Amino acid sequence: MLTGPGFELRTNGDAALDIRFAADPSEMLSEHIIALAEAIESCEQLPSITELVPAYQCLTVCYDPLRLPRCEAGAPDTALLEQKLLTLTEQVLAQSVPARGTHHLIRIPVCYDEKYAPDMQVLCESSGLTADEIIRRHTAPHYLVHMLGFTPGFLYLGGLEESLHCPRKARPELQVPAGSVGIGGAQTGIYPQATPGGWQLIGRTPLALFRPLQEPAFIARPLDRIQFVAISAAEFSAIDPMSPPEKVPLVSDSNSGDGR
Amino acid sequence: MSLRIIKSGLQTTIQDGGRPGNLRWGLACGGAADTFAMALGNLLLGNPRSHPCLEVTLTGPEIEFTCDVSIAVTGARFDLALNHQAVANDAVIRVHAGDRLRFGPLRSGARAYIALAGEIQLPPTLDSLSTHVIAGFGGLHGRPLQAGDRIPLNQCRQESARQLPPAYRLDYSTRPLLRVVSGLEARHFSDDTLARFYQGGFTVSPQSNRMGIRLAGEPLPVKGIPQQVSSALCPGTVQVPPNGLPIISFVEGQTIGGYPRIAHVISADLHRLGQLVATARLDFELVDQAAAHRILVGKSRLLAELPSRL
Repeated sequence: MLTGPGFELRTNGDAALDIRFAADPSEMLSEHIIALAEAIESCEQLPSITELVPAYQCLTVCYDPLRLPRCEAGAPDTALLEQKLLTLTEQVLAQSVPARGTHHLIRIPVCYDEKYAPDMQVLCESSGLTADEIIRRHTAPHYLVHMLGFTPGFLYLGGLEESLHCPRKARPELQVPAGSVGIGGAQTGIYPQATPGGWQLIGRTPLALFRPLQEPAFIARPLDRIQFVAISAAEFSAIDPMSPPEKVPLVSDSNSGDGR
Repeated sequence: MSLRIIKSGLQTTIQDGGRPGNLRWGLACGGAADTFAMALGNLLLGNPRSHPCLEVTLTGPEIEFTCDVSIAVTGARFDLALNHQAVANDAVIRVHAGDRLRFGPLRSGARAYIALAGEIQLPPTLDSLSTHVIAGFGGLHGRPLQAGDRIPLNQCRQESARQLPPAYRLDYSTRPLLRVVSGLEARHFSDDTLARFYQGGFTVSPQSNRMGIRLAGEPLPVKGIPQQVSSALCPGTVQVPPNGLPIISFVEGQTIGGYPRIAHVISADLHRLGQLVATARLDFELVDQAAAHRILVGKSRLLAELPSRL
């Protein structure tokens, strides 16, 4: 294991290295992690790298052991890769403000109607708030996309207001409908596919989060911002799931959270 | 020119090398569950190793060919018949228009590959023809094949009769052994727990699928192991969830996870996950990273040498 100031490099199986950061998850740390991923990607001396996977406090670097330099005995040698990653990580962490790319605010329509919000009552009870107030507080923030993962297109969002934190279900549902918007612990998010799930469901978006036939196939990238916009059941039915989020006609913010 | 599916089998899908490079979007590589068996079939026919093929799971299909084409069936051993005439696994089968390939009883392993000396004429999705079963895209209509499906083929060729040398004929009937390197969170497990993990007490649960291989047996104690902040989960990673029953991430596995990781199946043995059958008892053997890489180099060399040995 190699360490530098504020991070350590650890093997994650025989074909990946984790660069793990000591700092707590934050916007600043995510910016560093994405900047590091971009620096590694543009480094031409690292042809063995196959995947870069950012997370809250970690960047996982997958590599093909067969494309590593070989030591004298002919075995793949990770030393050069590790050294290079160490140097790049130190460089990126030393930048006070990482180089920023273009990040977008993506507004995602969500219908909080009863028929799409089977667990709204649970959330009302745990928070002591009315459904209208929950909707207002859920649609207010610009959530930070820390990373994508779990299933294709799932967004790990930061910034859920503390009053809306709510324990997961003791027994996960076997099948949660695609597009379901839920709260699990301190996280909120959208289930891109119909999968098992343990979050409390408070709404549903008509938009598809994963569009394998479109380019790009995903509606958001790390460091983008997400805002949920409340829509009616009639608007829900009228939205084409495959339309780009910026093309979806949405009523102005002042109308959101009116309890529909 | 096409393949016509007469009977689908349990889960017959179009597969290739999958979609590497998309983990950061939450999309696991997918593709053939046993890439080694797929490569053997393709190399027998003179194809690239990950040329699109059919993956057959546990119960085989019945397929009618409307053109002359050579095929090869590798991986799990089924009794095979072409028009009621027995044909061999691990060898070129010269098929003629109108012939029917039938899969009989499964003898060992879990997944067979039907390699084709021809091109499947379907549009790729994200640069691959692989069927992603869990997310429902790719392949034909994003799903396993059904009776009545037609898979268009072109550039069909006949290849000369040849078979795999004995060294390449894998035996799936023995108790499966998976070699692993130590897990990222292995240090949190007690020596006693680790010893139990390596003692061979677990079997493959019938609830396993392309997302994950679930193990059944006496649960491992997980009390007191700290919660992990979610981070990337690579294929072959063995996680221990709160119920104490390990799960091995598989080809269509989730890409981010937070359960403690007790071990990682080495890259060279990932293909063996594709041949595990429910109730099989599993052994894990701990190796170090240098050994894991040596084994991978050896397997890669074996495949590289195959064309010159046919």
